[in-house]
Amino acid sequence: MATFLTRRIIQMFVVLIASALVSFGLLYIAPGGPLSGLHQAQNSGRNKISNEDILRIKERFELDLYLPYRFSRWLIGFPSGPITIAGQSFLGNTMAGCAIPGQARLRYPDGHTEIIEDGCQKPVTFADLSGRRTSRGILFGDFGLSQVILRDRPIATLIASRLPYTLQLMGISSLIALLIGVPLGVYSAVRQYSRFDYTMTTISFVGSSIPTFVIGIICILIFAIAAKEAGLPYLPPGNAVANSDYAVPFIGNVVAESSLDRFLHFVMPCSVLVFVNIAGYSRFIRSGMLEVLRLDYVRTARAKGLQERTVVLKHALRNAMLPFITIMAGVLAELFGGAAITESIFNWPGLGRLLVDSIGRNDYSVAMALTMVSIFLLLIGYLITDILYSILDPRIRLS
Amino acid sequence: MTTPTARPASQSELIWRRFRKHTVAMVCLGILIAIYVASMLAPWIAPYPRDAISLGNAYTTPFQHAADGSYHFFGTDHLGRDLFTRLIYAARVSLTTALTVVTASTIIGVIIGLVAGYFGGWIDNLVTRFIEFISTFPTFTLLLIASAIVIQSSEAIPIPAIFSYFIGAIMAISDREANQVILIITIFIILGWTGVARFVRGMVLSIREQQYIESSRALGASHLYNMLTHVLPNALPPIIISYTLGLSGTLVAESGLSFLGFGIQDPTPSWGNMLSFANSYMFSYPWMPLVPALPILVCSLAINYIGDGLRDALDPRVQTEIRRGQRDAQLAAIRERSKPQS
Repeated sequence: MATFLTRRIIQMFVVLIASALVSFGLLYIAPGGPLSGLHQAQNSGRNKISNEDILRIKERFELDLYLPYRFSRWLIGFPSGPITIAGQSFLGNTMAGCAIPGQARLRYPDGHTEIIEDGCQKPVTFADLSGRRTSRGILFGDFGLSQVILRDRPIATLIASRLPYTLQLMGISSLIALLIGVPLGVYSAVRQYSRFDYTMTTISFVGSSIPTFVIGIICILIFAIAAKEAGLPYLPPGNAVANSDYAVPFIGNVVAESSLDRFLHFVMPCSVLVFVNIAGYSRFIRSGMLEVLRLDYVRTARAKGLQERTVVLKHALRNAMLPFITIMAGVLAELFGGAAITESIFNWPGLGRLLVDSIGRNDYSVAMALTMVSIFLLLIGYLITDILYSILDPRIRLS
Repeated sequence: MTTPTARPASQSELIWRRFRKHTVAMVCLGILIAIYVASMLAPWIAPYPRDAISLGNAYTTPFQHAADGSYHFFGTDHLGRDLFTRLIYAARVSLTTALTVVTASTIIGVIIGLVAGYFGGWIDNLVTRFIEFISTFPTFTLLLIASAIVIQSSEAIPIPAIFSYFIGAIMAISDREANQVILIITIFIILGWTGVARFVRGMVLSIREQQYIESSRALGASHLYNMLTHVLPNALPPIIISYTLGLSGTLVAESGLSFLGFGIQDPTPSWGNMLSFANSYMFSYPWMPLVPALPILVCSLAINYIGDGLRDALDPRVQTEIRRGQRDAQLAAIRERSKPQS
């Protein structure tokens, strides 16, 4: 077990670094940036931007550093200045980047000339880095600053402000879905081909085929728009809290930001996720149970004269739950990652919508941070699943 | 005297006969084919040009005459474009995208999974490690980021003209629009083949140990012959099922992506981006989102029912080894789907 754990953790670490490299690389090649519009502004004559301004902006976004240094500063916060050992500083003059590239005039034999970048006119050394703001590195939990969504505020604050909403939505909806979906799946399997089973399988089949954005929109149409038109109690179509008080028929006046208000906003996104998850969970449990109920040891248990209840719940369900643990690996990441589409439809201020927003508004450092967090959680989820698997199923040995 | 022909039914005939009994699946197959054929005949069916804007007619309610007296079957959108016309053209784009993505990623996945599972050794190791690495990424997040990047710089990425010509012709869109669609398709394929490869490898691992493979080898058959005539046909049923599941999965994922604004971009119509526009006007015109939501709903349900029918038709195989392979395949598919996509 100990060797397995160490090996898996080392493996996880390697995957994490590699995926950090990939996500950094992906967003490095992404178009648009703080300087992309500036050259046009500079050439247009109005709002003249001096070269010093450009240098300052470059420095702020670390665009004057070489790529490997930018990556390592983002990942582990190194280098943050000259390396000091016992009062002596080393590598102070090592070049970490170039603020103004040098220019050379290239003269072709046919007479025309061309200006190319060559060498460096104003290098950035390790010593220059010591005055700058350096993050402690994303591996140590410092995600840096947001550039667009909450300008100049730490991404950690941004995530912390959104996290409770996502945890609330995903946590409660997964829990309800589990509590309803698993018993439904078991009952459906025990009563295979009964009317209940047919209804259940049809509903869950339809439920898992319809995309969430369609269910979400139809829910808003029915429970928010149509209900309001008809003078029935309606649910607010979006956001997590209201801006001002509103009146709902039969319920009365709802005070903004009261717990009733929060509850009313919460019902629709939560129900959509519950519906979709129940459909998935119950189908999965049903097929697992059907497979297990056919096996010899279940017949043996029945032959021993055990109560049907014990056979189903103790003997069959325990084994049918095993593959179910695999899909729980994704749930941990989902719990903290949020549901991008559902949150976008209901304007729910969670992390899923933050991801969509940050990508749409080119706030790449936020997108990178969220990607890293969700990769990390997926890895942890897989690890927990493997350990749980070996605990629950002695036939599987970790190696 | 006539004697009834005693030719035994072939495997595919048996499967087709069983599939035909599944009435719902047959109806769904009919609906799907009808929609696709209609979309292919779009230039002749569609009452208006695809991008014809008439601002005076904007927000016409379905089955009503517009302000200038023209009739719009499904109404018009915020620019006065005929929704029925756009819906048919969007079917062409959305369904072809899903078909291309799933066909390409299934072919790639089957080849890689077949080779890795059949030969084992370092090839297998390399492929498995690589697939494991890719599957640690949250797929939908990666999809979002990659397509956001690609959409913004679609001009800068060179695409062979033959592809854009071909896709443009199938989808009835201009070359420039086709380039964007091709980029989206490419991203889906890059992220999509791993699931197929993984479960094909698992199936092949168990089939390879069967005795008929060994005897075929003993009779002097080459590896390639073995793979194509013995291993692949035995692995085919779950591949077909995963193909149909992938079809609806890709259709939904593409619509979701376009709905969030990162997939296929207006003016190229896709059900997802039509829904996204309708979504912003739904409080004034509640009928509007229903128009593009309906085909997404119908198609994804229909494809899933067809998959269900195929599963029933292909199932009566009793070889337990292969059953186990199928189960693993389902598990892998569900694990894949359990990643944050909601």
